[in-house]
Amino acid sequence: MLEVSGLSVEYAVAANSGGKNAVRAVDDVSFSVAAGEFVGIVGESGCGKSTLLFAVAQLLSPPAVVTAGSVTFRGQNLVTMTGRRLNAIRWQNLSVVMQSAMNALNPVMSVGAQFADALRAHGMSSRKAIAARSAEVLRLVGIDAVHLRSYPHQLSGGMRQRAMIAMALLFTPDLVIMDEPTSALDVVAQRSLMTQIKELQREFGFAVIFVTHDMSLVSHYSDRLMVMYAGQVAESGATRRIFENPMHPYSRGLLEAFPSIRGPKVPLKGIPGAPPDLSIIQNGCRFYARCPVRLEACATTAPALLDRGGTSVRCLLYAETPTAAAASEVSAAPEGKEAAK
Amino acid sequence: MTELLRADHLTRHFKIGGTLDRGTLHAVDDVSFSIGEREIVALAGESGSGKSTVARLLARVYQPTSGTITFDGKPLTALRSRRDALRYSGQVPMVFQDPFSSLNPVFRVSHGVLRALKLHRPDLSGDARRAEAARVFDVVGLGADMLARYPHELSGGQRQRVGFAQALATKPRLILADEPVSMLDTSIRIDLLNLMAKLRDSEGVSILYITHDIASARYVADRLIVMYAGQIAEAGPIDEVLAAPRHPYTQLLLSAVPDPKAPPPSAEAVAAATGERGEPPKVIDPKPGCRFQPRCPAAIDICGSITPELKALGAGEVACHVAQSGAEVKAFS
Repeated sequence: MLEVSGLSVEYAVAANSGGKNAVRAVDDVSFSVAAGEFVGIVGESGCGKSTLLFAVAQLLSPPAVVTAGSVTFRGQNLVTMTGRRLNAIRWQNLSVVMQSAMNALNPVMSVGAQFADALRAHGMSSRKAIAARSAEVLRLVGIDAVHLRSYPHQLSGGMRQRAMIAMALLFTPDLVIMDEPTSALDVVAQRSLMTQIKELQREFGFAVIFVTHDMSLVSHYSDRLMVMYAGQVAESGATRRIFENPMHPYSRGLLEAFPSIRGPKVPLKGIPGAPPDLSIIQNGCRFYARCPVRLEACATTAPALLDRGGTSVRCLLYAETPTAAAASEVSAAPEGKEAAK
Repeated sequence: MTELLRADHLTRHFKIGGTLDRGTLHAVDDVSFSIGEREIVALAGESGSGKSTVARLLARVYQPTSGTITFDGKPLTALRSRRDALRYSGQVPMVFQDPFSSLNPVFRVSHGVLRALKLHRPDLSGDARRAEAARVFDVVGLGADMLARYPHELSGGQRQRVGFAQALATKPRLILADEPVSMLDTSIRIDLLNLMAKLRDSEGVSILYITHDIASARYVADRLIVMYAGQIAEAGPIDEVLAAPRHPYTQLLLSAVPDPKAPPPSAEAVAAATGERGEPPKVIDPKPGCRFQPRCPAAIDICGSITPELKALGAGEVACHVAQSGAEVKAFS
């Protein structure tokens, strides 16, 4: 239903910045979403996951520009579409749930008035129909319809977030894009929201793209997972496969950094260092500086996205060139405790 | 274990509302606990449960409405002079949640550390202060060259380390860490937790670790206090509490933690889990009774009318009528 291919987004840099390069926040990202699918996108802050979402929803504003690639939604390329036709699609077929509901909802309008706004913009004019539909979607997410008259500040964090999701469902769209909708909530509210999203999805069959920095959150809910690092796809594939057998050293590091609530306590280590500055163009692998199992070739050869048994992974350890044979005898890394399997 | 700090019946109310809808918000209600030397105590709970208010009471940002705090054998009300107060805040510093707004952007990061040293340890000379600043930076895993950097040049994890270095400069005995890792990326979060364990083991400080992430609390803390709606629901040695949680709320918290290593729950389990959609109450002019009762599947008659007291049970303490009656509570799993 949604096909993103070769998408790149750059943040242009002012001419007087002393010859700095434009920052390519999203670099040649391709993925597709089938109808009714739940796709999780995970990565650290600054890895380009939010920029990617904004590009897919065509909500980017300067200095960010799509420099290459296309976003095909139900056979139409959103990148080249005019603003008017985009407006017709938004809410109706594709909706976005923003990270912070407090900022995304208008503080001086009641929830009901904001729902009515969206409904009216798409041609619903009967006041009765608007009221009925608004109350209906609010009930779907477990909020009493009296809250249509409430202002955002009168709702709790969890309720605001659920109201946002209700708003996204006004027209039962084909695709709902969610940008960290649970990051401001505590674990109990988080789980209740996730199960609710899942339930609604089962009922209405819309597809979800769910962006988060918390890998454990999507582990039980998403069908497919895409791990992003420094603007690129590091690994993507079926969620269970990635959790059971992470291939990219970055995904492996992320998974190992989670303390578990059950089982024996083991000392854990984070991933040392920080993500690279994307305004400096580097040769080689972007994860090189932080990688525990790096090869010599990684410093100079940029790895391509390889298909390995249904999972795509961007890492030289899985390449078929002679370096792959060397992978098992790697001890170049300071703490290379485990090399490729 | 020697006791470093103890809070007895600590209570903090806030007056809210205008003339017509005046009310009293019971942010912290009759909370008693202690923190030992060289101990990391995790204080867990949902947002609004009063855990940050407890930290601010201990830091003397707020004065308690009633109840006492005893530090090192002396009640805090005995701190009369400015010197005593300064001494206390040096011994019990805070580390904040947001490393992006807790450092002054126009000063080098050495500024905060040096200022704290000048204020709290006036006996040190300028050179000694700089040496000490370099030492605490080294302890928290930052190079001495980092001292000359500005906050915007550091990553979130490095900034949070600066926060701990500042706290460490004043020779603390208890660090109040209010959600110190919740804003950091997962890949660096665990290193900060390791740093907290290191500060306990090598510097001998105690830490009150406020969090809603039970998994990280289990990783680093010795004891756990679970708060709900301004009161302590359950407390005890963390391994014992998590292995056999007795309070229904602790069970709910624990069941909600996503575990990537566990197999995905069955469709039925997911459907059953959605039964819980309650939210913690705003405790405005509360009536007697257990505050978790409206959400509790195990509630009995008495829960609606009498507030349960925190009583010793097994290795820990729990405030639940059902658990105290000797019955096994299985509210959420």
